[in-house]
Amino acid sequence: MGGQKHGLLIEEEAGRQHAGPDVTLASAYSLANCARESIHIPGSIQPHGVLLVLSATELTILQASENAEALLGASAASILGRSVGQVMEQLLPGAVAQQLSAELGSMAGAAENQQPRLLRTLDVAVNGKSQTFHALAHCTSDGIIFELELGKEGDAALEVHPLLDSFTLLAEKMATMEDLAQLTAAEVRRLTGFDRALIYRFDEQWNGIVVGEDNSGRLPSLLHHRFPASDIPAQARELYRVNRLRIIPDASYRPVPLEPPLHPISGKPLDMSFATLRSVSLVHVQYMRNMETASSMSVSILRDGRLWGLISCHHHEPRRVQFQIRRACDLFGRVFSLRLAALEHAQDYERRIEVRSAYAQLVFGMADQGDVVTALAQHGRRLVSFADAEGAAILTDGGCRLMGKTPDESDVRALAQWLFSTSQQELYSTDALPAVYPPARAYKDRACGLLAIAVSKLHPSYVLWFRPEVIQTIKWGGDPSKPVSGSGEHAVLHPRRSFETWMETVREKSLPWKQGELDGAVELRNTIVGTVLRKAEELAALNAELTRSNKELEAFSYSVSHDLRAPLRHIASYAAILKEGGAEKLSPRDVRYLNTIIASSDYAGQLVDKLLSFSRLGRAELQRSRVNMNKLVQEVQQDVMEEKTLKAPQVTWHLGTLPTVQVDLMMMRLAVHDLLSNAVKYTRKKDEAIIEVGCRDEGNEHVFFVKDNGVGFDMEYAAKLFGVFQRLHRWEDYEGTGIGLANVRRVVERHGGRTWAEGKEGLGATFYFTLPKSGVTA
Amino acid sequence: MRDDTLLKPILLVEDNPQDLELALMALERSNLANEVVTVRDGKEALDYLFRRGAYAERQLGNPAVVLLDLKLPKVDGIEVLEKIKAEASLQAVPVVMLTTSREEKDLLRSYQLGVNAYVVKPVGFKEFIEAIQDLGVFWAVVNEPPPGSFKPNRKG
Repeated sequence: MGGQKHGLLIEEEAGRQHAGPDVTLASAYSLANCARESIHIPGSIQPHGVLLVLSATELTILQASENAEALLGASAASILGRSVGQVMEQLLPGAVAQQLSAELGSMAGAAENQQPRLLRTLDVAVNGKSQTFHALAHCTSDGIIFELELGKEGDAALEVHPLLDSFTLLAEKMATMEDLAQLTAAEVRRLTGFDRALIYRFDEQWNGIVVGEDNSGRLPSLLHHRFPASDIPAQARELYRVNRLRIIPDASYRPVPLEPPLHPISGKPLDMSFATLRSVSLVHVQYMRNMETASSMSVSILRDGRLWGLISCHHHEPRRVQFQIRRACDLFGRVFSLRLAALEHAQDYERRIEVRSAYAQLVFGMADQGDVVTALAQHGRRLVSFADAEGAAILTDGGCRLMGKTPDESDVRALAQWLFSTSQQELYSTDALPAVYPPARAYKDRACGLLAIAVSKLHPSYVLWFRPEVIQTIKWGGDPSKPVSGSGEHAVLHPRRSFETWMETVREKSLPWKQGELDGAVELRNTIVGTVLRKAEELAALNAELTRSNKELEAFSYSVSHDLRAPLRHIASYAAILKEGGAEKLSPRDVRYLNTIIASSDYAGQLVDKLLSFSRLGRAELQRSRVNMNKLVQEVQQDVMEEKTLKAPQVTWHLGTLPTVQVDLMMMRLAVHDLLSNAVKYTRKKDEAIIEVGCRDEGNEHVFFVKDNGVGFDMEYAAKLFGVFQRLHRWEDYEGTGIGLANVRRVVERHGGRTWAEGKEGLGATFYFTLPKSGVTA
Repeated sequence: MRDDTLLKPILLVEDNPQDLELALMALERSNLANEVVTVRDGKEALDYLFRRGAYAERQLGNPAVVLLDLKLPKVDGIEVLEKIKAEASLQAVPVVMLTTSREEKDLLRSYQLGVNAYVVKPVGFKEFIEAIQDLGVFWAVVNEPPPGSFKPNRKG
């Protein structure tokens, strides 16, 4: 329906009319301020009542509508300058007139620009006939505006509160905005008897959409229709915001001018912003005729002081709705707004709880992992659902982790680069990525919507969420691209005549990101940045500490190698010389003692040497090269079997297929040597030793393992295995310095991998280590 | 019988008395006929090699090999090595670094300066003797007197 008006465009059209019937659209908008002026000062009223302007203190009639004579039997000229009390006394029983005067008097000094108040419902005898009027009044800077609106006999009996009670009870049962809108439309229509009641909602861009409708069937349905924002410009929305109720009982009315036209004190047209009877634009009247709707009413729905939407009613015939019912509709609007707020708060709260819990998991993960990326990636599904997305990606300086439905890694990286170069914001979101970033067209089925939080200002580090394209068909109430008929400069503003629904297919858009999701993302970002920052600080502190302790270690190992090794050598050597030279003079026990001295100092020497090489492993730079792990293991296996000290048993070896990796050959050889010699050593007492070496491919990393059927260990001590000088066996059973596995761990960690072991006492052990595929250097 | 006087001496530079004793024992056991000259610090070693100070009056001629401890008082082994290799008349003298240190930076530096062998003294005495024989003695024996080097006169 082109320029569907259903009572929404009163104010705008009034403005355009003021600008003149043949101005272009552009100049009409440029006259926005002027238009704003015109809306509330039409200088005339609708004919279903009489409007009197009273001076604030004396209640003298300053202006009166020209229909005073027809409706009250006294011409405007005859009552101007008289006190309203005197005039009322001619129409009403004395007591009632006095009470009314008293009530009007008590309004003097009341707050200005409030909704009109119903003072009372009156039965007035005019020309021998009794006529019911609703006496409404509100204060303005021009005095009290006193309106006598025509009513029907029995109107006074209507009680608003029971209506409101039952509506409130029903509204409280509604769980969604849509249900609530539907209920409100139905209840408003039932109460008012209009043919059609719509709940019309504004979106962020002030486009409107009909979210609820109740319809007698006599007017076309507009449910889910959209209306462009230009239909209701800002100044009109502002008036809707401050004055919540508008009614046009009969669109074919003849405006009734005020007498005198200008306010006698201010010398200006009367401000009728809040007047119930205020006249509306002729253009609007034309619209209503084109629509074949004869009457309309609209009630503004406010949310936190902002215009959320409208309850908009139409009837195909003229229809008057009495003040109490309009008032009830206004209250329904307020109940609607409150219930909506409650629903949204509840949803928001649920969302927050969800965010909190996701957040707690992620934070816990970060603390646990000590690494944000790993933690987030580990809770990938949580991360994706966190923003109600279908895919997510974590991009860091070097890495890129994808979860769920996402573009390819190279596309994600390119997107992050673009984002980094275009937006310096911490949060970025769009539901139409291809429109701002055309390459996204290629993967709009995965990433048409993008929500991004920047984790670093220095490099393109982001957490990204993706939503796929959702193709939607939107029913516009008229072609939004053609607000004006005619063309070029002579486009003429006049009511649309086409009310055909205009279908638009919207492509390259995802579902929009909700505020709660954006808030959650920002919160997550702050946590990540906080964690990263804290980590960075900790790292910096650690680094300083490390540098210092590295220096100490260097000095220490130098002195150990000299100062400790020399006396050990002396002890061993002199004991050996003594044993040699004095063999015949020494008792067998003396010889045994000397042997112990020699063996112990030898062992101490080995310890020192191994400790030094262990410390070197931590300090030496990695010299990566391509290493065929199959070959390496085979070579080391042979070496190990030839080592006499290991007293290797018969071993059945099972060597799996191992990958070629980028590692430091010397270090890896040492690690493999330590693992294999360990396995050999601890299977020594088995009749049939079986050692298996293999590797599993697990996505980002290779998982190597060395499995034996030896003595195993108690899992309780598993954590100790990789420590320096940690031994789980008695010396007599298994000799060793307790540095081998510490070496393994150090080598593996230097290559960015992890180590762990599984075992059972008497049932063998399996030692695992991983190597990341993307050669991460430590 | 070998003519000892044809043999150049072995210069042993060692400050630690135990190490000195052990090294002498090791050399003794390797049945070398060469005289072993011992000096106790880097300065003394340089004095000997450059015939100055207490050694100004010594007979001309370079040692067959210098067994040089790394850590020495006054002037350390590395510096002694550096001076030897920087002096044209001494360049051909083999130097075996004897050290307790397993520090690779010392090793690296020694090789950069042209050391002929580098022995990390093993803890065990047997291994120590083997090492001395393997390296120190090897150099003493294979070291042909370079052209123009001093051949001591037969003692009368």
